[in-house]
Amino acid sequence: MATNRLVVKEEVAVYASVLFDAANTAGGQEAVLEVREQMGEIIRLMRADLQLTMSLSNPDFTPAQRKELVEGTFADCHLALREVLAVMAERGQADLLPRVYDTYRELLGDKLGICVVDVTTAVPLDDGLRQLITEKAEADLGRKAVLRERIDKSILGGIIMDVDGNYIDASMISQLNRARNVLKDTTDGGEC
Amino acid sequence: MKTRANKVAAKAAFGALALNAAFPALAFAAEAEEEGGISAILPDMAEFIPMLIAFIILWIILAKFGWPMFAGMLEKRESTIREALKKSEEAQIESERVLAEYQKQLAEAKAQSAQIVADARSVGEAVKADITAQAQSEAADMIAKAKAAIEAEKKQAVAELQATVADTSVDVAARLIGEDLTEGEHRAIIERYVKEAGSFNGN
Repeated sequence: MATNRLVVKEEVAVYASVLFDAANTAGGQEAVLEVREQMGEIIRLMRADLQLTMSLSNPDFTPAQRKELVEGTFADCHLALREVLAVMAERGQADLLPRVYDTYRELLGDKLGICVVDVTTAVPLDDGLRQLITEKAEADLGRKAVLRERIDKSILGGIIMDVDGNYIDASMISQLNRARNVLKDTTDGGEC
Repeated sequence: MKTRANKVAAKAAFGALALNAAFPALAFAAEAEEEGGISAILPDMAEFIPMLIAFIILWIILAKFGWPMFAGMLEKRESTIREALKKSEEAQIESERVLAEYQKQLAEAKAQSAQIVADARSVGEAVKADITAQAQSEAADMIAKAKAAIEAEKKQAVAELQATVADTSVDVAARLIGEDLTEGEHRAIIERYVKEAGSFNGN
């Protein structure tokens, strides 16, 4: 396994580029965004399941076994993503997936000229809100914005917007938690 | 000298007695022939000379054999008494010396005991002061610790109460928001938040 940082960086770039091209060829922008979203889900899953992460890079397994594990576990994912991830697992480099994800997002902006805004709300957006959020993102970032919507009742209300890790958290659950912390940290009210 | 004269007188008396005892017939004969006048007080030569001779003989015998023995006994007795007196004087001097030494030692012992008592008293006072100071310090520490513990427990209780109140308030608010808001109200809130939100660039 190569340990040189520059070599690894080049490998990450190759994985991301191959994945992007394959997804773009297969389904255009929509497929690229779908792969991006699925890759994010896989990363969250790997962070939550340490055994899966270790198994994908375990040298005790043969490359064929690791590839079979990827194909069996992520059978519902996009074909391009599944194949690239299988190659990474075969080579024992599945743990590079978060860096591939970051590079993939950069390619998405560089090659398609768009920025993806992940929007989380407690209720579905209507067209007016979509238009409002899109215009705000395009005004702030200076490029075409594409919304990826997600419904999450646990935020109670409000909205969370994420552009490549830059969060705008205007959810009610966050505001309530801030209020909770302020109430707990206030000590002068209890002094006699 | 006086002792010597006494000795001579005693010897003369003793010689006269001895001559009378040796020649009693002469004494009675002299008495029978006594007559008046001066002859009454003058000695009869016929009696006087033998008596004198007997006296002298007796005196010589006593001076030769008796008196030296008697004088030796007296001297021996005198030396014995003198030795005894000397020894008693020495014993008295020794006893006085021992007495003085005992008195001196007694005085020293009294002074030493007085010093010991004074030292013990001063040490006792110092120990008493130390114990008192230590007890006061420990008591002050205990009071301070107790106050600190009470203050900490009080703060903890207040904090727990605040946390409970905060949790309850937030939970109630969350439940009200989740149950009471309609989708339209949710969207209105989202619209307001988007308009009021900061920039993606962090400005």
